[in-house]
Amino acid sequence: MWLELIIRLLLSPYIFAPLIYPGLVTALAILLTLIWLERKFAAKVQLRYGPLYVAKQIGGAPQLLADAIRFMFQEVIVPRNADKVPFLLAPVLAMSLGILPIVFIPVAPGFAGILINFSLPAALALSALMPITIILMAWSANNKFTIHGGVREAFITIAYEIALFVSALSMSMLYSSLSLQDIVEKQALVPGILLNPLAALTFFVAMLMSAGKLPFDIAEGEQEIVAGPYTEYTGILYGLVMGAGYVQLYVSSLIFTELFLGGWHPLFEALGELYPPLGGIALFLKTYLVLAFAVFLRCVYGRYRIDHALRIGWRRLIPLSILALLLSLGLRFVGVVV
Amino acid sequence: MAGGGNGFFSWKELTSPVSGEKVYELFIGPQHPASGHMRFIVRLDGDIIVDVEPDIGYVHRTMEKLSEGREYIKNIPLFERATIIDSNNITLGYVKALEKLLGVEPPPRAKYLRTILSEMNRIQSHLYGMGIAGIMLNHSTMFMWCFGDREIWIQLAEELTGARLTHSYSIPGGVRRDLPADFKERFEKAARYMERRLKDYDKIFFSNPMIRSRYEGVGVLDKDTAKRLGVVGPNLRASGVRYDARLLGDYGAYDELDFEVPTREEGDSLARLLQRVEEIKVSLSVIRQALEKLPEGPILADEYFKKLPPKLREKVLKTGRVKFPAIFATLRPPPGEAIARVEMARGEVFFHVVSDGSPKPYRVRVITPSFRNLVLLRYLPRGCRFMDLLAIYGSVDYFPPEADR
Amino acid sequence: MSLLSSFLEHLEAIGTGLKYLFFSKRMTVRYPEVVIELRPGYRGMIRWHKERCICCSMCARICPAAAIRMYRIPGEKKMRPGINYQRCIFCGFCVDICPTDALECTTTHDVAFEKLEDMVYPPDKFDREWVSPALEEGARKLKVEFDEEWGLKHVPE
Repeated sequence: MWLELIIRLLLSPYIFAPLIYPGLVTALAILLTLIWLERKFAAKVQLRYGPLYVAKQIGGAPQLLADAIRFMFQEVIVPRNADKVPFLLAPVLAMSLGILPIVFIPVAPGFAGILINFSLPAALALSALMPITIILMAWSANNKFTIHGGVREAFITIAYEIALFVSALSMSMLYSSLSLQDIVEKQALVPGILLNPLAALTFFVAMLMSAGKLPFDIAEGEQEIVAGPYTEYTGILYGLVMGAGYVQLYVSSLIFTELFLGGWHPLFEALGELYPPLGGIALFLKTYLVLAFAVFLRCVYGRYRIDHALRIGWRRLIPLSILALLLSLGLRFVGVVV
Repeated sequence: MAGGGNGFFSWKELTSPVSGEKVYELFIGPQHPASGHMRFIVRLDGDIIVDVEPDIGYVHRTMEKLSEGREYIKNIPLFERATIIDSNNITLGYVKALEKLLGVEPPPRAKYLRTILSEMNRIQSHLYGMGIAGIMLNHSTMFMWCFGDREIWIQLAEELTGARLTHSYSIPGGVRRDLPADFKERFEKAARYMERRLKDYDKIFFSNPMIRSRYEGVGVLDKDTAKRLGVVGPNLRASGVRYDARLLGDYGAYDELDFEVPTREEGDSLARLLQRVEEIKVSLSVIRQALEKLPEGPILADEYFKKLPPKLREKVLKTGRVKFPAIFATLRPPPGEAIARVEMARGEVFFHVVSDGSPKPYRVRVITPSFRNLVLLRYLPRGCRFMDLLAIYGSVDYFPPEADR
Repeated sequence: MSLLSSFLEHLEAIGTGLKYLFFSKRMTVRYPEVVIELRPGYRGMIRWHKERCICCSMCARICPAAAIRMYRIPGEKKMRPGINYQRCIFCGFCVDICPTDALECTTTHDVAFEKLEDMVYPPDKFDREWVSPALEEGARKLKVEFDEEWGLKHVPE
């Protein structure tokens, strides 16, 4: 009787969604496999093998698990001149704020951590809080390289946030709803990317800028400022900050899939009867594909200079996203979507 | 930071600089992911570079002084290690000066073989430079591709000389080994592969709008400044000055081969990189011509060849591997001086050998091309943004061990 | 319009990357499961044939790194060469100057030593065969071939 109560509690959307899927456990699983996948993609394009030796039969897949265990046993060095409390607190804050928007994102009809009518702006607003923690990291480490990286992060953040919001809002204007669940349900026949490809493009590029993936890994410019705001971090704190970028990418990819790729359609009704998230397994697969493409771009690009990246943000992405907004308005006016 | 501890700061105190200084110093030191074996002392005003001071000497191995304590033939592997990726070109400078002192002339076949190896080293060294330029922009694919393609040329050099990078191929009087029988077919396949690859490099790197935006108009070196600063090599030719020590025609087989030295007019970083790609293509055509026109004959000068006993002479002619005569261990050139200029991949190297009649040289002076190009790292980044420093560093192709010797 | 042309160039770069992602062959080999068979003439470890040596000591005189040095052997009139691999740079000058071919270059290059003292070979130990430790443990042998499409190909013997 107690056991049944506990299991019912665990499987309820309030616990299951933030904790297991799409929450912490899935995020951890994606973190462990995505970085391995990125290294394998880079290796295949560069005509070599990549990580191989951890479990040779499956191509070195548990490499990240080995890395994570190594991080946990590594010494955490705090520089003498650093501001200790923010220094130790900022990576934890970064990871927590990075994963917080997941509570609003539904994975199946009616299954989300917090089910509200304006989940899209809520998730986007929470994900905009993370860059503040990076600037805190940079400032507390008290090092010229980190401050340089922190200032770069501040500039980049303001450049992409507007484009990200306007692209997302153009889709919500197209479907006349601010709730992610409604937007996905209206894409049953035609995914959003076919109706408004311009918004998809600007959202994707802004997503890359927000997560700091190539070609926009300017904040952690390894060649110039030795890892930027993350320079002084070692051990498990380093694992946390490296993971925070990927978690930000994961959250943005979930939103991208739900806005543009049809979310959990085609909905597996039979599986959904058993347990709702099982019916929405298509969401996980599509998100993984988006993530794989985003990390594949590492093989093709180098790093943009900071003023070019800002120019792309202000002079290309923002006008294009406003154009996407006008396109959505036009589609509504013509009557393509009611 | 700003003073006081007495309660609330005023707005003016928070936003004005502490001591009136806006410029801060960054040490891009030797312990840095992308500095090479050198240190840059960069003074920055926000994101704009005010001043760069290159701090070199971390790889100084006192080669010029060491050479005074070794016999002449032993200095060939010593100087080779100044620029190990371009080894035949730098040894050729020393060997040429030595041959002038000794009064020995290598036979024509040896000159052609030296040319073939020099051009292969040039291709391989340019690929190294392009790879480093790629990783400076965090373009890891260009880096890995260039270094993977170097393997082709290193493998060919290994088949010719027996070692991958430390060839020690040229000796006073000729070369050490003859061409293997299947070299020509293997070279043809390698050359066709390289031409195909250069197209892929173009698609993913040189025509990539992202890379172009990093390199176009960055670090422009105009013609007069290039001449005044005394830079050499592809950096000079990318600014429009057609100077190449191969055109002087006094070493190798260059005076009998037909090749065009390319130049470019723009003088920015993109021009310097594209200049290297053009030079790779020119080198491929030079090697093809040299293999066509290769004359038959001995590979060691007659003067040394007849010092070998007759059985060894037959063995050399049969196997194609030269045996040194015993006099090589104690070569005594007559007293005098000789200079030699050879075009390495990064520019012109200058050797000055002074002999006083003993088996060890009195003085050897080397001026390497990277040492001459160092001034570009001081002059070009001024006024550019901080990230341009590394783009310029990659395009200038500065090689610290070569500059420091 | 320049925006459109740069977008197409971006697509071309991404397309090249995707082409290499799906249709490419790796250029590296998994040593020590496989070993690349080097061509004869490669300048690897040096082998000394005691019966051919005439003790002329030219090898010690020409070694640029002073790695070969002559040892006095009790009971013999002339001195014999011994090598110190801590200093050898594998230039092959000693092989080229030996008048009786007593020194030759083998194609073994990946010998490993556990102690620094093991790297010094006096004349009684110098005359020996060199075997690569990977081959001793049963590595497969591959040969290097040139290929127009993929550069280097490693084919089994």
